[in-house]
Amino acid sequence: MNVHPRARDYPKSSLGEMIPNESELTAGVKIEPGKQYGFFTDTTVCIGCKACEVACKEWNNLPADNVGLTGHSYDNTGALSANTWRHVNFIEQSSIQALGGQDLGGQDLGGKSVRDNDQAPFQSGWLMMSDVCKHCHHAPCMEACPTGALFKTEFDTVVVQQDICNGCGYCVPACPFGVVDVSKADGKAHKCTLCYDRLKGGLEPACAKSCPTDSIQFGELSDLQARAKRRVDELHARGVHTAYTYGTPDSPGATGDMKYLNAFFLLTDRPEAYNLPAAPTRPSNRVAPALVAGLATLGGLALAAVALLAGSSEGARHGR
Amino acid sequence: MEGTITIVQEGRFQLSDRAGVSHQFVLGHDALAETEQLRPLQSRQAQVRVKYTDASGLISLIAHRIDLLEPNLLESPRR
Repeated sequence: MNVHPRARDYPKSSLGEMIPNESELTAGVKIEPGKQYGFFTDTTVCIGCKACEVACKEWNNLPADNVGLTGHSYDNTGALSANTWRHVNFIEQSSIQALGGQDLGGQDLGGKSVRDNDQAPFQSGWLMMSDVCKHCHHAPCMEACPTGALFKTEFDTVVVQQDICNGCGYCVPACPFGVVDVSKADGKAHKCTLCYDRLKGGLEPACAKSCPTDSIQFGELSDLQARAKRRVDELHARGVHTAYTYGTPDSPGATGDMKYLNAFFLLTDRPEAYNLPAAPTRPSNRVAPALVAGLATLGGLALAAVALLAGSSEGARHGR
Repeated sequence: MEGTITIVQEGRFQLSDRAGVSHQFVLGHDALAETEQLRPLQSRQAQVRVKYTDASGLISLIAHRIDLLEPNLLESPRR
């Protein structure tokens, strides 16, 4: 394991003050305004421990919600919400057919289910993915916000300014990933801030720092995209031909003029299996065609009404 | 409830009461305070009184009103 040379300056576990640019030691990246930062979530190494969920709640002082058991797998969080900004999906594959009849090592399973006693080698029947706000390059929530509460930070992330949000909720249906939510408690929109306050203090986001398997990696976007490509190539070489990235340029998730997502994923099944849209789009691109269609309909109805009125007055004249 | 605001994140804050027990609050939509007013209260370690109600479906309390207390009001019972 590579240890940053600066780490030797801090041999004790208890510190009297913050470490300057701590992210250099924990994530190998120095956080500087003006650069693009994001998350690369490699779902193949996620173990579903939910440390990211806990770290997010702890740092952001988010209250627990959905108290109780859902009865669905190991997932009792349910979904992303105004109070849950990280959510670990547990997807149990009922059939290996979703992987083209092969396990993740490429071995033919002869149509057997993962529920059968013959467990697939190399991987169980579970897919796990830590979902989060994608911090889209062209963020639809930001485009829909009438007050400017949603904005792009100096780190190219998307954040809601709580003192400006008026709780109109336009951002909620605008998000193609169903991330943004309006809280019933305070009537304002909430979502992941990519730990904006931590970034300003030179700290790695809480979820990435807490991830024990480095499934969530934080860094400069270009570095992360290159790292993801190398990981996909490596998985392909090891026989995991189903691996691909979701949200990198020219990949699924970056469709419909979305360009790319600052928080992107490495998946091994269809996006829908992870509750992700296969082809997200920007709602703002549909405004102009919808307006033209509406005006054309209005014009057509007006013409029809004029024709009907003209016809009836003509008929009345002839009748007389 | 009376105590000191120890953690602030956006409109959410943690209040340590006189017994040292921490309680989590969310600033309600009808609260007579704004989110940007919370951080100065935390940095000054101001003693406050919070009027609140329970939140349904959340392990949190909804703060409706925050009043500043005189410091000696909370110091006297401690001894």
